[in-house]
Amino acid sequence: MARNRNVGIIGIGQTRHSSHREDVNQPEMIHEAVALALEDAGMTRDDIDCVVHGNMELFEMVHQPDMWHVIGDGAYGKPGYRLTTGGTTGATLVCAADTLVASGLYDVVLAVGFEKLQEGHTTGGITNMADPLWGRELQTGALTGMAAAAVIEEFGAERAKHAAMKMRVIMDRHAMLNPNAHRQFGFTEDMIPTMVENVPPLVGELRLVHMCSQSDGACAMIFASEDVAKKRCPNPAWMMDHVTVHREETFNLFGNVEEITTMRYAATKLYERNGITDPLRQIDVFEMYDPSSWWGLDWIREFFLLDGDRHLRMVENEEIGMDGLIPINPSGGVVATNPIGATAMIRVAEAALQVRGAAGAHQVKKEVNLALASGFGGTLWTVLVLLSKNPPVLKEERP
Amino acid sequence: MNDVKQELIVLRQILSIPQKFSTGPVMGRFLKELRDNRRIMANRCPRCRRFHLPPREVCAICRAPSGEFVEVGPEGVIQSYDIVYYASPDPLTGEARQAPYTTVNVLLDGVQGKDTLWHLLNETDPTRIRRGLRVRAIFNEQRTGSIHDIKYFDIIEGGTKGAAQ
Repeated sequence: MARNRNVGIIGIGQTRHSSHREDVNQPEMIHEAVALALEDAGMTRDDIDCVVHGNMELFEMVHQPDMWHVIGDGAYGKPGYRLTTGGTTGATLVCAADTLVASGLYDVVLAVGFEKLQEGHTTGGITNMADPLWGRELQTGALTGMAAAAVIEEFGAERAKHAAMKMRVIMDRHAMLNPNAHRQFGFTEDMIPTMVENVPPLVGELRLVHMCSQSDGACAMIFASEDVAKKRCPNPAWMMDHVTVHREETFNLFGNVEEITTMRYAATKLYERNGITDPLRQIDVFEMYDPSSWWGLDWIREFFLLDGDRHLRMVENEEIGMDGLIPINPSGGVVATNPIGATAMIRVAEAALQVRGAAGAHQVKKEVNLALASGFGGTLWTVLVLLSKNPPVLKEERP
Repeated sequence: MNDVKQELIVLRQILSIPQKFSTGPVMGRFLKELRDNRRIMANRCPRCRRFHLPPREVCAICRAPSGEFVEVGPEGVIQSYDIVYYASPDPLTGEARQAPYTTVNVLLDGVQGKDTLWHLLNETDPTRIRRGLRVRAIFNEQRTGSIHDIKYFDIIEGGTKGAAQ
């Protein structure tokens, strides 16, 4: 993959995410994020060359929402695309916007991801993602206790349950610093033993607070070519690379033994292409799509290519905290905020805010030169996006 | 822009969509064998020899059309399971499911490879379920050519096998 030119993120806008945005309809809610992104970029709608728009239509059951939302994102008369790749939608929108600008087709692309989950039924919608010929009857949305069972089997129930709940408490501590976060509980360390025992279980050892929220919200981002970005923005976050990994076509793979996860595969590819040999030290902050604290815990090992119990120790020793070795989800993550079509874009947006030093109260203390963001969806798909503080040196060809 | 005193009207709607899905000759044969002969049939890739269960038209990894059908099960070993406490809606009826229930991935006898069959387990007591337990498919008397032709899997008392461990 060769990049024709560099792409900078110069505008970021998010709504306040909440369980209920009944005060606005869909285009009105999107407009809030778009207006903030335009303001951040110092641009107007006239400066936008192309709009990419996405959500997961199974939730609100509105066909062609991009047509309705033209009044909210200003896409009238502009080229545009509608994308929907389930949970990864927001990250796919980022990849598409990056590709459209890097290719030279457009100089400025606006990407908009949204979801109003209260307007439909989230678990019902995801259940319809299952193979209609064998599985809709069995699927329970995105809820599964299998990650919990695997961690418990490997490390013992006591240690595993404590680590997953500690992960949840750390994410909440971060969410408390993020004014846009949906769920802010104020959990404290001393509550962990009680929570491990008493929070109602959803599936197996996956309990209510472990699981991501169902949120209403939107995110908008503006991607610009290097010349435009440098003119318009004092501190763009630069797109280094992105990689998307799906599994084979089958719906029905959750229960099958995997040789390698899409997380580890995507990370291996991305690091190889970008000269990252020690990801824990070379990457400064990671915004992970953590659908639950169990998956989040388990995937630290996958994304950083670790072995043994290193990932558990990272959580136990708070190395993933705001001033830890590798802060994970300073935003509070997906367990705090989850408007699904926007969720994976919020990961990239939050990583970009860290690179730009613009995250406010949840800005990590250390300097951020390299930031990683992930998306998750479908049958365990992964999208990984790498951002940098300095524009990458363009190569003729990538290996 | 919004007058805070204005009443904000919310429209409530229910969407009910009758659907029918073609199963095609490969999945169709699998369902017909369940319905007519109480047999669970996998097919396999002629190149990498892995089993597909339910059967598939093509091995996506080898990009090769699948070949022979092979009868597998009806007994097998629990590979993984989920005890579901959350009463989610059944998208086929709109009604909340009866919880708890257990979904299970069974590595059926005769399967070479990793494809497990996803179904229900007739047990929700976590102290009685574990990976590696032997189970058997129980067929419904009334069969229509669907996932419901198997009622659920039953644990075979005293039967354990360490294959999945």
